Amino acid sequence: MTITIGLPSKGRMKEDSSAVLARAGFSVVAVGNDRSYRGRVEGRDDIEIAFLSASEISREIANGTVDFGVTGEDLVREGLAEADARVEFCARLGFGHADVVVAVPEIWLDVDTMADLGDVAADFRARHRRRLTIATKYWRLTQQFFSGNHGIQLYRIVESLGATEGAPASGSADIIVDITSTGSTLHANHLKILSDGVILKSEACLVRARKPEHEGNAVVAEIIEAVRKAL
Amino acid sequence: MPLINLPAFAPDLIADLENLHTERVDTPVIQPAEPFLDMAGEDLRRRIFMTESETGKSLCLRPEFTIPVCLRHIETATGTPKRYAYLGEVFRQRREGSNEFYQAGIEDLGEQDVARADARAVCDALSVLKNRLPGVGLSVVLGDQSVFEAVVAACGLPAGWQKRLVHAFGNQAQLQKLMADLSDPAPSGVFGPEVERLAILGKLDDEATLVAHIDQTMEATGYSTNASRSPADIARRLREKMELANTRLDHRTLALLKEFLALELSLAEAPQALAAFAQKAGLSLGEALARFESRVAALRDIGVDPADITYRAAFGRPLDYYTGLVFEITPDGDALVLAGGGRFDRLLTLLGAKERIPAVGFSLWLDRIASVKGAAA
Repeated sequence: MTITIGLPSKGRMKEDSSAVLARAGFSVVAVGNDRSYRGRVEGRDDIEIAFLSASEISREIANGTVDFGVTGEDLVREGLAEADARVEFCARLGFGHADVVVAVPEIWLDVDTMADLGDVAADFRARHRRRLTIATKYWRLTQQFFSGNHGIQLYRIVESLGATEGAPASGSADIIVDITSTGSTLHANHLKILSDGVILKSEACLVRARKPEHEGNAVVAEIIEAVRKAL
Repeated sequence: MPLINLPAFAPDLIADLENLHTERVDTPVIQPAEPFLDMAGEDLRRRIFMTESETGKSLCLRPEFTIPVCLRHIETATGTPKRYAYLGEVFRQRREGSNEFYQAGIEDLGEQDVARADARAVCDALSVLKNRLPGVGLSVVLGDQSVFEAVVAACGLPAGWQKRLVHAFGNQAQLQKLMADLSDPAPSGVFGPEVERLAILGKLDDEATLVAHIDQTMEATGYSTNASRSPADIARRLREKMELANTRLDHRTLALLKEFLALELSLAEAPQALAAFAQKAGLSLGEALARFESRVAALRDIGVDPADITYRAAFGRPLDYYTGLVFEITPDGDALVLAGGGRFDRLLTLLGAKERIPAVGFSLWLDRIASVKGAAA
């Protein structure tokens, strides 16, 4: 059987993923021209490369259309319910670092922890005749963190697909859940991260679809081991 | 699985509900999603079936009946008191069991005699179950959030803490964690560098200075026009928080709360036990205890023996519209909930009713009743 690895199709993530695989002894070349969405590994007929957009990779791993993928942990955990049962995080690759965080307006001087936020949320409806709103594209991670870890139920999510940091100032939401790598965009928008508000410290990972046919497959084991050694 | 999962006993059950002097209502299966998410929180989103209209309005398949029945009551404006009965399909994403199943129940809106209405809800749920499940032993567990609220208030805890504790009531793990946190608060870093800077500048010394500072900062950063929380809100809560920074939940109060939450005994003995607890602890539970006692008396009057009901002090629902009584009925020795109910005096005003309407109700899980019936047959 041929093992398929899904890689990001453009940008830094594409270069960094190819570099890790090259260090592990798998040198990735595009089939046809540079812009092609199919690739192969030099000298290996048993491995195929599929170049996919970052958001597709977790979905394709979940469907089992690819055997492995290189993608951010945040996208996998957001995209899949019960991620750990469906995929294996084989290796953390040391690039694509981003934290998923809860950030509130800096001027909320009284709010520094999730417990503070819980107090504010509980009172919000009585004071403002609506629930506290959170702008985010991370529905699942937000719900798990707020309800599961902190018992906060009373808030509403406002979907935001871009420029989430601007939502509190523009009035489209009260607070945000978003990714940040340096915190500078948050700072520029007068937002602060809660002291216990880091939901996930994400980075690019080698992720395997949990498929029964991987059991005892030599190529699957070889890829995992080689990538781990290359780090 | 059969294609039609309406249990064969449904017509009998409808007759039972009619005999309990109710008015049958039906509600559309497709409901606006907003009221459900607003009342129960975002977490519900994963557990209901949502869709969107062409114009972008969020819709869902009816996940339960209480909110639709109350909304319909507000819309039709036919006045109270009203006793509504329903039987129909509800839709939820469940790990176990079917995603579509039937529920029936009664919503009793606007009855001013709260004790009587509470007792009647428990009695009605029991009588319907007994009719459908002859020979099956039933256990009733009863809780009351207002007693916990009274205990917390009588302990003289700061208002902010009372709110937190009451809010966590019904979620055991959350409540235990909260009590542990309050008795051993995090030592530092709870205010952040900006607050420390303001303290050095003396901006925290009086409320007016603080409000002015927050107002100016909001203005300068472009937050003022869209502010959801006003400078006064923020200043008030910051000062509350600073006052509490050096207080902790003392050992005696913590022990009292734990002792209260551990209470679990026959409802017949509960009023006495609560009075004894209050006296020993030196707490005055006044009104809450009186209401609790009158509910027990009302149960006796209506023919339900309180000795057959278990009172569990920690039993509640962590939803902010439940206000008092909650109860669940299971088969003896089984955790399968056949009926659940409670008082939700705050729901109708939250949904837009002009006046406060006291309300109590219960719902029955028809698929579970059918499975118990099948096992007993």
